[in-house]
Amino acid sequence: MRLLRAELTKLVFQKRTYIGLGGLLVVPILLTVALSLSHRPGRNPSGFLTLATHNGMYVPLAAFAVLSTFLLPLLASMSGSHQLAGEAEQGTIKTWLTHPLNRGSVLMSKWGAAVIYIAVGLALVAAGGYVAGAIAFGLHDPLLISKTAIVGTSIAGGLWLTFLAYLYVLFFAMCVLALAMLISTFTDSSLTAAIGALVVVIVMTVLGSFSYFDFLKPYLFTNYGDGWQDLFTRPMVWTTIVKGIITFGAYTTVFTSAAWLRFRRKDILV
Amino acid sequence: MLAAETQKVRSTIGATATEQPVVLSTHALTKRFKGVAAVDGLDLTVRRGDVFGFLGPNGAGKTTTIRMIMGLIYPTSGYAQILDHRMPDDRREALRHVSGFVEIPAFYLNMSARRNLRLFGSLDGRVDEARIDEVLEAVGLRERAGSKVGDYSHGMKQRLGIAHALLRDPELIVLDEPTSGLDPQGMKDVRELVRELGKRGTTVVLSSHLLHEIEQVCNRAVIINKGRVVIEGPVSELHPAHSAIKVLTDDQTKARLVIADMFGPKSVVLDEEYLVVESADGGVPEMARRLMAGGIGIEALIPAREQGLEDFFLGLTESSDVDASPSPVGAKGGSR
Repeated sequence: MRLLRAELTKLVFQKRTYIGLGGLLVVPILLTVALSLSHRPGRNPSGFLTLATHNGMYVPLAAFAVLSTFLLPLLASMSGSHQLAGEAEQGTIKTWLTHPLNRGSVLMSKWGAAVIYIAVGLALVAAGGYVAGAIAFGLHDPLLISKTAIVGTSIAGGLWLTFLAYLYVLFFAMCVLALAMLISTFTDSSLTAAIGALVVVIVMTVLGSFSYFDFLKPYLFTNYGDGWQDLFTRPMVWTTIVKGIITFGAYTTVFTSAAWLRFRRKDILV
Repeated sequence: MLAAETQKVRSTIGATATEQPVVLSTHALTKRFKGVAAVDGLDLTVRRGDVFGFLGPNGAGKTTTIRMIMGLIYPTSGYAQILDHRMPDDRREALRHVSGFVEIPAFYLNMSARRNLRLFGSLDGRVDEARIDEVLEAVGLRERAGSKVGDYSHGMKQRLGIAHALLRDPELIVLDEPTSGLDPQGMKDVRELVRELGKRGTTVVLSSHLLHEIEQVCNRAVIINKGRVVIEGPVSELHPAHSAIKVLTDDQTKARLVIADMFGPKSVVLDEEYLVVESADGGVPEMARRLMAGGIGIEALIPAREQGLEDFFLGLTESSDVDASPSPVGAKGGSR
């Protein structure tokens, strides 16, 4: 626990922490401004952007939809690589490791701090979305997406579903984060680690977009990135959500264990 | 543990040193990088209270050895031992008793020195503000403790590295070339600091590629080259020119006989045109009188100590890979 506290202290004193969080906070605000100015969202496969123009309750979800395909993996890979390869770059990892600590604990505290960072960032997205959405469009009982009938829920129900969506998106981010951590154990350059993780995300996304590779689809974690949207359809289909959580969990476990195995015996030469 | 260690201690180690318990030892410590040995079967013994010089030219394997002692890299074979704890098997326990830095001490540049010490201190448990003040005071950074480390000079970072090493008051402090890259005043300050630590009874291992630095601050030292021990022992015995004197007379053959008669046949060697006389402490006037009484004209008596240090060091490290080392201390080292 004291390691995690030290990690968070470090983040609190880093400028880029606030740049990242600020960037995330800007997303729902910009989104709201754009929506309220145009009232005619452009390419909008999920429908959350259209819904958001009628109800501020949907602004956080619209922001999640915008983020989850690319910006969130980007942020997750950057923060994961900063947390480990970035420390190698600065040399501070050796200062950490000359203290009587388990290397596994050091790795986990860096991992944990990155998760907390992303969690706070996404919470800011949601909070910013609610505030901006309330001002621009007001908060009403949200309607759920249904082909057969109009299904509504209460504001509390909407909040609950949004919270579940938040957890799902966070889970997706953790998967990318773990990948960035793993690559970080092989390089001392945070940029290399971040780009490496992103390349994997991009390759998976590309593979997932061709029907030829359909047989791979169930194994690509990027394929489940927007699975949380099923939470808002009625009747609700759990399959994608459950598969997504299992896939993220499996990848996160594999990446993290591999990172641990590598880091445990790594020669620190910085 | 002591009995086993005593066995390992070489005959060259001074009698006073053997009484103290061993704080750090390395046992056939070896590290290969892609098949090339950076450290090659290194055996070292550092005892409590030693200010131990770890000397060698650049690339001799000093930093690699220190990385292994600090548990940053894993030996290919062999191990280091700190008190009863083996590194790397018992890494965490071993690290409780040692701290220090490798190459340039690294801290968070956007945080002040004090916050860095607080952060890293918290990794060991509760941080005592008074202790932070104490170590900052000891390295002379108390006034600048609030400045960002990013604004620190190289020398200040080195000193902060020492402060960080002192923070948890370990049994052993390992400093890797703490004076490298410093200006003369900075060097003087750091050396003074290390001497101070030694006086307070802290065991210090200090690496350097400067022989005179080791001479100034250390009581014992090892010279390594190509990852192997060249010679180990008390600093005063490290080089043959210690209290040696170069003698030039008009009849060197005859003079040599006279001197050998006085100090023993092993105490005098012919080096180029000079006779180099060892262990002539206090015996120089008497030697001069006897030479003159023997009808030998003295042309020059030169104290050899200051003159030949670097040459000696270079000669030692260069010849260390030649098996039949002609070095006059080759027999003393006995470590190959």
